[in-house]
Amino acid sequence: MLPIVLLSVFGIVVLFLGFSKSKNILLPATLLFLLVTLIANFVDWNHQYLYFNDMLWGNNASMVFSGIVLLSAFFVVALTRGFEQEGEAAQPAEYYGIMLFSLVGAIMMISYENLIILFVGVEILSVSIYILTGSDKRNLRSNEAALKYFLMGAFATGIMLFGMALMYGATGSFVISDISEIIGTRAWNEQSQLLYAGLLMLLVGLLFKVSAAPFHFWTPDVYDGAPTIFTAYMSTIVKTAGFAALYRLLAGSLASLQDYWFATLATITVLTLLAGNVTAVYQTSFKRMLAYSSISHAGYLLIALTSLTAKSQSSILFYSLAYSLSTVSAFGVLILVSQQQASNNYDAFNGLAKKNPFLAFVLAVSMLSLAGIPLTAGFMGKLFVFTDAAQKGTIWLLVVAILASAIGIYYYFRVLIAAYFKEGDLATIRIAPFYKVVLIIVTTLTIVLGLFPDLVLQLV
Amino acid sequence: MSFLVLIPLLPLLGFLINGIGFRRIPKNLVGIIGSAGPVAAFALSVYAFISFQAQGSAPIHVHLFDWITVGTLNIPFAFQIDQLSLLMLLIITGVGSLIHIYSVGYMHHDEGFGKFFAFLNLFLFFMLLLVMGSNFVIMFIGWEGVGLCSYLLIGFWNKNTNYNNAARKAFIMNRIGDLGYLLGIFLIIQQFGAVEYAVVFEKAATMAVDSPAIVAITMLLFVGAMGKSAQIPLYTWLPDAMAGPTPVSALIHAATMVTAGIYMVIRSNVFYSLAPDTLDLIAIVGLATALLGASIGLFQNDIKKVLAYSTVSQLGYMFLGLGVMAYSPSFFHVMTHAFFKALLFLGAGSVIHAMSDEQDIRKMGGLRHKLPVTFATFVVATIAISGIPPFSGFFSKDDILANVYQHSKIMWGLGVLGSVMTSFYMFRLLFLTFFGTFRGTKQQEHHLHESPLSMTLPLVVLAVLSAVGGFLNVPEALFGSMKLSGFMAPLYELAAKANPVAFAHQHLSHTQEYVLMGVSVGAALLAALGAYVVFVVKKSVPAADGQETGLQKLVYNKYYVDEAYDAIFVKSMRTASDLAYSFGEFMIDLVVNGTGKVVKNAAAKLRLLQNGATSFYVFMMVLGITVIMLWNFWIK
Amino acid sequence: MYSDFGQILLFIIVAIAIIGAILIANKIIRPNLPNEEKLTTYESGEDPVGNANVQFNARFYVVALVFVLFEVELLFLFPWATVFGRPELIAQTNGRWGWFALGEMLIFVGILSLGLAYAWVKGYLDWIRPEPKKPDYALKIPKDLYQKINQKYSTHR
Repeated sequence: MLPIVLLSVFGIVVLFLGFSKSKNILLPATLLFLLVTLIANFVDWNHQYLYFNDMLWGNNASMVFSGIVLLSAFFVVALTRGFEQEGEAAQPAEYYGIMLFSLVGAIMMISYENLIILFVGVEILSVSIYILTGSDKRNLRSNEAALKYFLMGAFATGIMLFGMALMYGATGSFVISDISEIIGTRAWNEQSQLLYAGLLMLLVGLLFKVSAAPFHFWTPDVYDGAPTIFTAYMSTIVKTAGFAALYRLLAGSLASLQDYWFATLATITVLTLLAGNVTAVYQTSFKRMLAYSSISHAGYLLIALTSLTAKSQSSILFYSLAYSLSTVSAFGVLILVSQQQASNNYDAFNGLAKKNPFLAFVLAVSMLSLAGIPLTAGFMGKLFVFTDAAQKGTIWLLVVAILASAIGIYYYFRVLIAAYFKEGDLATIRIAPFYKVVLIIVTTLTIVLGLFPDLVLQLV
Repeated sequence: MSFLVLIPLLPLLGFLINGIGFRRIPKNLVGIIGSAGPVAAFALSVYAFISFQAQGSAPIHVHLFDWITVGTLNIPFAFQIDQLSLLMLLIITGVGSLIHIYSVGYMHHDEGFGKFFAFLNLFLFFMLLLVMGSNFVIMFIGWEGVGLCSYLLIGFWNKNTNYNNAARKAFIMNRIGDLGYLLGIFLIIQQFGAVEYAVVFEKAATMAVDSPAIVAITMLLFVGAMGKSAQIPLYTWLPDAMAGPTPVSALIHAATMVTAGIYMVIRSNVFYSLAPDTLDLIAIVGLATALLGASIGLFQNDIKKVLAYSTVSQLGYMFLGLGVMAYSPSFFHVMTHAFFKALLFLGAGSVIHAMSDEQDIRKMGGLRHKLPVTFATFVVATIAISGIPPFSGFFSKDDILANVYQHSKIMWGLGVLGSVMTSFYMFRLLFLTFFGTFRGTKQQEHHLHESPLSMTLPLVVLAVLSAVGGFLNVPEALFGSMKLSGFMAPLYELAAKANPVAFAHQHLSHTQEYVLMGVSVGAALLAALGAYVVFVVKKSVPAADGQETGLQKLVYNKYYVDEAYDAIFVKSMRTASDLAYSFGEFMIDLVVNGTGKVVKNAAAKLRLLQNGATSFYVFMMVLGITVIMLWNFWIK
Repeated sequence: MYSDFGQILLFIIVAIAIIGAILIANKIIRPNLPNEEKLTTYESGEDPVGNANVQFNARFYVVALVFVLFEVELLFLFPWATVFGRPELIAQTNGRWGWFALGEMLIFVGILSLGLAYAWVKGYLDWIRPEPKKPDYALKIPKDLYQKINQKYSTHR
């Protein structure tokens, strides 16, 4: 509860700080606020809590999920550099404020006990992201992306709300644990059809948010159109929060119905893996490739969710963390390079390693992690996720996933080939010290977690 | 006993410092850093030895951390310190320190000085890990690590293609052995569900003699030992390994690494005592290797090659001893062999140093005046290895032979034959090198000089050890008390409990022992005399290359084993891989490129779905929802 | 009898019935004299011609948003008001209830006021007043030429 309150207050404070003459105060203030919230997030450590009339629920796992979201937000905010380069039209105070507000939504999605809180959380997060997507007001692509996202998001929200209503109709409750209890009294094939329709629609709504196929079509356009820094923001935060919410829903109240939803979710998983990985092969833009990569990682995360074993939660948690870290560093490098080259394409990276060995290394670690090469966090994440599937016994799903990750290597390595083996005239890029520190931390974490995954897993 | 961790860590530290900064650290410092680690480790080993004796005979277990935990299998990273590992520690760090000090002088002019010390330290680290580990997996790390260092050091002068080939040969031969060893470990895990010595042996001790699992494990482990300790058929790498710098030959290919196989067998004596069939095989392989090595040694003209075959042959003796369950005598021989063979190699190094890198003994002669210290120590070593009392080789070899005699008299006879040959080729080497007149070029003669102190000091120390090392285990027949055997006895308690029949051998009477000693010493002396007559009195010099005849030619060319291996294994392997390659070219490419094409085409099609129209996206969503609903409510 | 939804059904029936009754009553009582002006969609005079997709000034939305915001605030104030002054709750908590409820509502209203203040300071509440721009293009014809012409023709009048 504390982080939600703090973030709301801090958001307002940041908005009003925007009126002060010195714009330089905004970035440090926001970082400080995020740090305070990150610490406050763990005050309930080792306690299971229920707040707001049993609306919010939390335990260590949900605190770690919130921690991942806050940490990713911290890194992304650190990479904004105060929006200095965005020009006159930029409204740093509003961006930071909206980012803080969106985190409120994300934390609600992670630790809801009542479906209404889930809905409110999804909306707070989504609306914030709509605005951030369209924040580049003079850019048509940014506007298009925002509008597209908004229209489709509204549609998905409608479906989700409908699903919640139907579930309420079937069970008479919005509370996760109550629903679970009511469902538990009957076998899975004796439930009311209302409940099934409801849960399917609710799932569709949430799957839209995490961009699972066939509800993923917005993703490439929106990721591509949004300012890069906000693409990084939404690809990490929305995904983590979305999967935490999905896990909470499936494990918290619908676990006994696994036989029912398994086939549907498994099909969606396969579709997502294929749609993400195969389409990514054809892209020429690095940024757009990362959008497809985000779809494919949703697919991997869905594997853990579909299998829903005792270890699924820690797998999802670790995978989200690994994915967030690698994504942040990938976008961090992309921002610098695209600024220099005025392009997001693979060609922009040509010859990066020659004059910018540091950036090339950061990029390499991040790509290796995303591709799931050993000694990186990404590998461990994939390993855990695949173990879940193996434990559930869904070998065919595993085969598809492994083929998909083989395809993944192709497009992740393309940028590395450009950076290391192609000739290019990229000049040395000046990196602000703080920016560099963030990249170093993220890269180090990626490697350290690849070697000692227990550092995070033992928290749960 | 937490200071034990430091013993392997100190050389590792040396490796890190020298390895990372070997271009920046001045030469003098490199030598000091490189030698300080082993010397300190030696001091700690001595301290460990003293404190171990103070606390009794129970093994000390030092648990560092849990390394791998998979299901019920737990592999800790832990050290086990008992009699065996302590003795190995003393040998490795003691001889190792001396050889490091020697290397300071020997390698001083080499441009890769720092690199050399780094590798040497790394080798020590792995070797110490090998003997200190408390389970088979840690031993395997050390096992692989020393293999790697051996590879690096054989190919140390990596600008020479032949040396590189020798390094590769050593590596591949060892890989064959390692495969066996690894399979053995897998079998142990499968059979006992653990790898810790204490656990595994406790469980193994309850099994029946000659149970198939134990035989399989011992056989597989022995394959590993064959590779590492250069036994037939995997011995050919060791003579080629002489391509490395001489201190490397002394440390790795004579004193320490090649004895890892013996260490392993003694360590798993519970297994081996339960598998008499394997023991018989070991004895036969050991004996055959001993004879083969000695016979090849008779006609070699390269000073290091002679010593290399001698090492092969001596290792054969040790395995012969192991094969008749004379574990302590074999280990005793490991120890004395470490002293005198290291001394011989270092002496050879000193000669080579003086001869400006000439290794052919046909071009030497009369060096005893120019290299007095080297000569004196070399003589001590030669007497020791030939088994002439009271030097160390006599005691250890005699100990083994006495045990062999109890097992089989034919084997004993062949063993004595081997020792005759040993005595002959060693004295041949001694006489050709140090006696007679100088046969090299004028320039070499002019350059002859005794080596610096840093090289002669280790020689002297090792000579003293070679001379008196035998008194550690004087048999009762010579009024000794078998100190070493007594010290090592607790190691076999478990095995003796598991298979009491094997350990219940009757002792030889003192008269019998005197006769045995007399025969072998007499034979050795006779062989030495023969060598004296041929090479000093008659002053004959071995024929130049290609002029040997008959049997001599066969032996000189090492029975054409290398050529045979080349024809049988390498050629057929080449053909097979050529076939596989062409097949791969076709099939694999078909599959790989085909998959690539399919994916690309699919991507090109799928890409078109992303057409940018929101209405289409929403349509797809609706379609998806409809399909989900239809499927879940009507079709299912 | 009927469930809680039955009451809602009754509400619906009654609502339809009343509206129907009123409309019917209207039909009976009112004079019926249609003319063209009266039959237009918007009697206010707005001509419903052309595409409905015309652009409105974005300021409409801002004002509408602020309006909706305070509508919702009012909506919240009503249920709050019903429990705020309950004597039994106040008695039970020894008077703290009132302060607590008041404090909560103050926070709520305070946040909204902050939002209003923010919008105000940012200038979102100001209606755009068109500021006529002075054209600043340079003419090749000198100004006094015009004056001359003006003078010339003014004298002749």
